Amino acid sequence: MRRCLLFLTALLFAIPLILMVSSSLKPADQLATDPYSIWPDSFAWSNYAEALRALPFLRYLRNSLVLCLGSVLGTVSSCSLVAYSLARLKWRGRDVVFAVIIGTMLLPWHVTMIPRFLLLRELGLYNSLAALIAPTFLGDAFFIFLLRQFFRTIPEELSEAARLDGLSEWGIFWRIVLPLSKPALFTVALFQFIASWNDFSGPLLYLSDPHQFPLAYGLERFISSYSDQTHLLLAAATMFTLPIVILFFLTQRTFIQGIAATGLK
Amino acid sequence: MKPGNQDSRRQHGWTGWLFASPWVVGFLALIVYPFAASLYWSFCRYDLLSPPEFVGVENYARLSHEFVQGGRFGQAVWNTCYYAVVSVPLSIALGIGLAVLLSARIRGRAVFRTVFFLPTVIPVVATSVLWLWLLDPQSGFVNHALSWFGVPPQNWFKGVGEAAWPLHWGTESGGFGSKDALVLMSLWGVGNFMVIYMAALGDIPKTLYEAATLDGAGPARRFRHVTLPLLSPVIFFNLVMGMIQSVQAFTQVYIVSEGRGEPAGASLMLSLHLFLSAFQNLEMGYASAMAWILFVILLTATAVLFRTSRHWVHYQGER
Repeated sequence: MRRCLLFLTALLFAIPLILMVSSSLKPADQLATDPYSIWPDSFAWSNYAEALRALPFLRYLRNSLVLCLGSVLGTVSSCSLVAYSLARLKWRGRDVVFAVIIGTMLLPWHVTMIPRFLLLRELGLYNSLAALIAPTFLGDAFFIFLLRQFFRTIPEELSEAARLDGLSEWGIFWRIVLPLSKPALFTVALFQFIASWNDFSGPLLYLSDPHQFPLAYGLERFISSYSDQTHLLLAAATMFTLPIVILFFLTQRTFIQGIAATGLK
Repeated sequence: MKPGNQDSRRQHGWTGWLFASPWVVGFLALIVYPFAASLYWSFCRYDLLSPPEFVGVENYARLSHEFVQGGRFGQAVWNTCYYAVVSVPLSIALGIGLAVLLSARIRGRAVFRTVFFLPTVIPVVATSVLWLWLLDPQSGFVNHALSWFGVPPQNWFKGVGEAAWPLHWGTESGGFGSKDALVLMSLWGVGNFMVIYMAALGDIPKTLYEAATLDGAGPARRFRHVTLPLLSPVIFFNLVMGMIQSVQAFTQVYIVSEGRGEPAGASLMLSLHLFLSAFQNLEMGYASAMAWILFVILLTATAVLFRTSRHWVHYQGER
């Protein structure tokens, strides 16, 4: 009974993805006349080649990678510094700062959107990926929180011993705490990478030159101009999704533990 | 506290602030300044081309007028509330349901978990393309599958129907419309909630169930009197976060509604209306006022949830 119910629900959840992949391989005329069969008559790999030609996929991919790697670098470096300060250093005002950081997680982006946009435009970052990357160097409340919780689990004695040996705080951070925190840093890097890969509203707001578009945004422009070419849309969407799905399967444990941890603190 | 502790509390003063400085700069530049600026602009007429001009409460007056008269803003408020009120409880119920189904030791548990979780990692842009296609009123797979059960075709993203609103039942607007389609999309991404509930279920001591069974409680009563109370902190967390997230939903709304809230404004959520007012109509003052109203509504709703939580959220270790 339970197995049966599980199986049916799982089928409902899986069908959209199965249809997406199988239909992206259907020849255009089969997709038009017989859209509901799961199996393609013949595998039309040409859909993928055609989609690659129809949109500047490689340039978008390059932009996406610049955006993702830049943001990961920014988030990991800034958030680990701040989290170290909150978890391992004692200073006046620390607890207040931590409470404020937690509070900012609940703020909607609507209020800050317009001034933030005008500020970054003032700084000459409009129409540049830098507008999306630069803010990641200023920390993110959720990731700071995640890293702080992890840093607190590292025994304080390690730091004390290092201090007695004359290591500076930077030395302790860089040579002791960071190497011990690789799993947590990896989780943060992974989540930020995916967030940047998927980001749509950022490019929509800050980028107007198609040369700068990352995949998520370029793909949406493509959809609006090719809305009748379903086979190409599905092929492009599958190509865009595939790297994330592969990444997910390679890191499934990290992923699911990371999500579960957010709800239980 | 020992005096020695007092000293060590001070010892990292400047270093502490130095390490925290990225956040301090970010907080001042990307949160404090924007909040102050947008509060001021909400009392201004500001089209970016000329400097902001102070107009008092004009923007707020216009918003309340539109709210009462059912203008674009009123429509956006209704749409946002409808989406949040329908999708959040359904997501929580489905998340708990799936987690409970997966809580038993069954073969293939990990595979099922992966299947339920996978949709949450699919980029929203791709999800939106996919569902636009699946929910196409003429050729979409979902309407086709519904026809096997004798259900007439639904308009989904192309319709104004609100199936969850009882007053519409049995009328033209009673079918599944664009907001219902968005709810369906959000339910497909329920894996995040499910994983959180699975972790929470794993933390419930087995002895509690054994004790309840000894007292003669069947599965339904065990669920009602053991599982639900012990999950209540997580339910509360998901209720708050789900509400905040659903009010902020933007990408999928933008894509499925052709960036305009189509059809006939049935998908015009507050976040989209705000974006369009600011960046298409260049009404920064009006948009800022809307942002503040939204912020105050969210704050109030969160506060109300926190107040009611005293009556139904049980924290282990208390009492």
